[in-house]
Amino acid sequence: MKAIIEVKNLSFSYTSQSAGRLPAQPILKHITFRVIQNRFLTIAGPNGVGKTTLINLLCGQLRAQAGSIIIDNAHIESYSVGKLAQKVAVVRQEFVPIFDFTVAEVVSMGRTPYLGTFGFEGKTDRAVVSEALEATDTAQFALRPLGSLSGGERQRVFIARALAQNTAILLLDEPTSFLDLKHQVGIYDLLKEMQLEKGKTIVAVTHDVNMAAQYADEILLLGADNSYYIGKTKDVFKPEQIEKVFGVRVFTCNIKQESFFLPLGKFAKASTHINSKLSSKQEE
Amino acid sequence: MGQVLTAKSLVIKVLLCLAALAVVMGLCTLIGTQKVSLKRVFAGPGSSPGENIDYEILIGIRLPRVLLAALVGAALACSGVVLQAILRNPLADPYILGISSGAGLGVMTAAISGISWSFLGGSPIGFFAFAGAIVTVWLVWYIGHFTGKSQVTSLLLAGVVVNAFFSAIIMFLTSIAKSEQVISTIFWLMGNITGKNLPVLFVSAGCILAGIIVLFTISHRLNVLALGQAEAKGLGVDVARTRIIAFAFAAFITAISVSLSGLIGFVGLIIPHGARLVFGPDHRQLLPLSAIIGAAFLIIADTIARVIVAPAQLPVGVITAIAGGPFFLILLARYSRKVSWLK
Repeated sequence: MKAIIEVKNLSFSYTSQSAGRLPAQPILKHITFRVIQNRFLTIAGPNGVGKTTLINLLCGQLRAQAGSIIIDNAHIESYSVGKLAQKVAVVRQEFVPIFDFTVAEVVSMGRTPYLGTFGFEGKTDRAVVSEALEATDTAQFALRPLGSLSGGERQRVFIARALAQNTAILLLDEPTSFLDLKHQVGIYDLLKEMQLEKGKTIVAVTHDVNMAAQYADEILLLGADNSYYIGKTKDVFKPEQIEKVFGVRVFTCNIKQESFFLPLGKFAKASTHINSKLSSKQEE
Repeated sequence: MGQVLTAKSLVIKVLLCLAALAVVMGLCTLIGTQKVSLKRVFAGPGSSPGENIDYEILIGIRLPRVLLAALVGAALACSGVVLQAILRNPLADPYILGISSGAGLGVMTAAISGISWSFLGGSPIGFFAFAGAIVTVWLVWYIGHFTGKSQVTSLLLAGVVVNAFFSAIIMFLTSIAKSEQVISTIFWLMGNITGKNLPVLFVSAGCILAGIIVLFTISHRLNVLALGQAEAKGLGVDVARTRIIAFAFAAFITAISVSLSGLIGFVGLIIPHGARLVFGPDHRQLLPLSAIIGAAFLIIADTIARVIVAPAQLPVGVITAIAGGPFFLILLARYSRKVSWLK
């Protein structure tokens, strides 16, 4: 089993210059993990623990102060920007670009790392692009401006662009955070399909522990105190672990082996039921 | 089918637009206060200078002026396209980084100090305008580079601040200078295309065309950069390098056109938008087509400027501003609702 991403002893802190007047504080500290080729890894954890930072480190957007990242047997620093873009594609939260690019134009931009001096797509490029459009079911609105699509459709377009980039690794930073339930599931189904049918290695950041549990092979759970847990989903996502890391009480329910977690706030209706049960138990 | 631009379809479009430009140039050369007989023009210059008046007017006066307008129009439109993409701001124009006020200050300095030597046969005004523009752009770039992590925003702010500061100095100099010193400067500030001697015209044409070609080679990266810095890097674009090339060459061709013809407003703003509305935002196509349309637009505007109040002439900047002002307001209303360019 070949590891395509190897992170060793990685530490990162935003320097005081880029973080304003705050003193430098390590956001990631001594993190070590590896991602096996063709696996689906989800990075979960509360706000501000460095999930997005980790994605930005993995795609070369940021440089770590200590430790190393090895992508496909070579140090990430040894890649040029263009070569790295042939290994790793990134999908961030969907957005509307400033100019009215059409869907086909945006997906074609995925070919940028492969283009020559004048930057025109050749036959192969166009074939890859139309394949990416088909695979993500976005070919139907290829000629429409991106801004005229719904959020879920737009996110599919950005995934299509990542496919057109033809990389072994797909990184996603909260790809579904603005989407409704149907579109969330749609995006995760699409990602799973990419993993199973196209052999992609997928690393996705999410807040949604249940979605992560349902689709990922492995979980990297980042905690606020620079702690982290890595492993198979069922080993990492235990109720006590989730309560500790997220700092919230959860109600756990199981469908066969699969666990689902529901957060319970102080005034949540279910919360009062559980509280009264607990207190009546105590009275007995 | 036609969903993605190909090199072939681009070449066809560019050739068609060039043909249209040639027609515009021909027609505008024929239009003027003095009636010119084509038959007499083709008879040649004649043996002694001034023998064939028709030839002198058409080839000696109007044609260079039309070529100059084409050159300046193309440079300003290209510069506008590039700066709008790099700054990710649809309201950016070639002067946004302080070129106008820097060049203005240079010209003011030349006028007040009474320098009268000439450079390459050109007037000191052109030279000082170019020097002022380049120094100011460098200053804005330097300030923007050192004031923040979000380079685009700090560049914009630096440009605005430097523009305001230099404009204040220009006003101060205007108020203390003698009126006859200032009158030529005021015409210059309004944008004025007048005859230039041929060596200056050819050197400038070479520089501007070379600049446009360099910008064309980065145009596919501009597409990606318009999506944002992180997106561009993720797609394998060397953001810092692309940005420096874009800024440097956009500033260079703008500075040359400013030194040739003063401050001609709105061309660099409305032509890119007009072209984008018609041809879409793909910069590989937008850049060359904007250059051609900008050239045609300024030729027409200059033709109007020289015939509309004949025998007097208007500064061409007045025409472009009168045509461009309302258009700009429509854009402002349209875009400020729709586009989140501060994302």
